Amino acid sequence: MAEYLPEITNDSVCPVDAKEELLNECESIWQKMEECQSKLKVQGGKTLPKLDTTLSLLITRVKALQAEYNQWQKRTPEIISNNPDVLLALGKEELQKTKNDLEMVLATVQSKNEQLEEDLKRFQREQQWQEEQEQVVAALSRIEEEMKTQTEQLSRKRALQQLQNKMSKVKSYKEGLSNALGEFLGEHFPIPENGGSTKKKKSFEKPAVELITLHEILEILIHKLMNTPHDPYVTINDSFWPPYIELLLRYGIALRHPEDPNRMRLEAFHM
Amino acid sequence: MAELQPYNKLPALSCAVLLLVGSDGGLQQRLAEAILREKKNFKINIHLAASLPLPPERDHLRPRIDLVAFMIDIKSKYSLKNVEASLAYVDDSFFLGKVCFLVTGVGRVNYCSVEMNAIRNLGEVYCSPVLFCELEVEGSQVATAQRLLRMLEICAGHVPGVSALSFSSLMRNCADD
Repeated sequence: MAEYLPEITNDSVCPVDAKEELLNECESIWQKMEECQSKLKVQGGKTLPKLDTTLSLLITRVKALQAEYNQWQKRTPEIISNNPDVLLALGKEELQKTKNDLEMVLATVQSKNEQLEEDLKRFQREQQWQEEQEQVVAALSRIEEEMKTQTEQLSRKRALQQLQNKMSKVKSYKEGLSNALGEFLGEHFPIPENGGSTKKKKSFEKPAVELITLHEILEILIHKLMNTPHDPYVTINDSFWPPYIELLLRYGIALRHPEDPNRMRLEAFHM
Repeated sequence: MAELQPYNKLPALSCAVLLLVGSDGGLQQRLAEAILREKKNFKINIHLAASLPLPPERDHLRPRIDLVAFMIDIKSKYSLKNVEASLAYVDDSFFLGKVCFLVTGVGRVNYCSVEMNAIRNLGEVYCSPVLFCELEVEGSQVATAQRLLRMLEICAGHVPGVSALSFSSLMRNCADD
C-alpha cells in the first residue's frame, strides 16, 4: 500500500484522514482503470492489412486524436485536495524539485564563469606578451636606424681618415726624401770653401757674395717652379757658384732661359 | 493471441516496460544497460527479443508493454527483413506512438547495406519515429538511452499532459516534408 503514496512516506506528522483521503482517491482511480481495461479487452485487437497500411493507420490516428481532443475539451482543472497536509507535502516536493533545478543551473553558470575568467586571464597575458613583443620590435628598429646612420658616418670618416693617413705617409716620405737629398747634397756638393781656391786667392778673384750650397740653389729653383708655374725662371745671381750651375745645366736638371742667359729654371720633371 | 496488444493487461504502478526487438543480441544488451544506468524515478523493465511473435508460453508472466523499439542494423539486410516480418505481429493500436525504429551503426558510412530510402519508407508507412544512433560511441549511446527513456516515460503515461499520439508528428525528420 505504501507505494501508492510516495509523496507522504516521509511526512509522519500528517493526520490519518489525509492518508485515508488519498488512499480513497487512488482506489477510485484504479477502479476506473480496471473498467476501461475490461472494455478494451472486449473490443480485441486487429492487425493491419498488408496493403493500405498507412491509410488505415492514419484513419485510426485521426480517430484517436479526435478522442483525445474531446477529452481535453471536457476536462476542467480540478483541485487536487483541500487537505492542508497533502498540499504542504506536495508544495515541499515542488520546491525541492525547483531547488534542484536551480542548483544545476547555478553550477552550470558558475563553471561557465570560471571558464570565461580563465579565458580572460589568458587573453590578458597574451595581450601583454604582444605589447612586449611590439616594444622589442620598436627598440630593434630604432637600433637598426641608428646603426645605419652610424655606418654612413663611419664610412665617410673612414674615407677621410684613410686620406689623412695617405697624406701623412706621403708627407713623411717626402720629408725622408728631402732629408736624404739634403744629406747627399751636403756630403758631395758642399759650399765651395775658400781653402779650395786659396791658390787662386792671390789673384784678384775674391768672392764678393757668400756662396750658397747646391741644396739651396735647388731649393730656390723648386720653390719658384712650384709657386709660380707660369714664371719658373730664376735670375742667376752671384751667390750661385758657376760650376754648380754648369753641373745642373749639363745634366738637364735646369734649363737656361732661351733668350736670357742670366735666367734659369728647373726642368719640369712632373709634367 | 500471437499479436502484441497494447491494452490487454493492467499496467504496474510506477513502472514502465520497454521491448527491444532486433537481430543483434549484444547491441540490445548494451543499450539496455545504458538505459538502466540513467537516472529515473520509476522502475524499468527491459525485455529483449530477437523477433516477434513472442513465445506464447510465458505470456501471462509478461507485463504490459509500453514501448516497442525495433532495432535495425545498417550493416545487415537480414535485420531489416527480420523487423519487417515482426511488424506483422503487432497490433495496430501500437502504431499510435508506442512503436519506434532504432537504426544502429550509422557511424560507419562505408558499410551501409541497408538503404536510407527503405528505412524512411518504413517510418512513413507505419507513422512511427525513426531514431539514428551509433552504439559504439559512448556519447551517442548515452544520448540514445536518454531519448528512449523519455519516450518510454511518455508512453507509460508518467508525464501528465503529453500523450504518445504526438510522437508521429513531433518527431518527424526535418528533411522529409
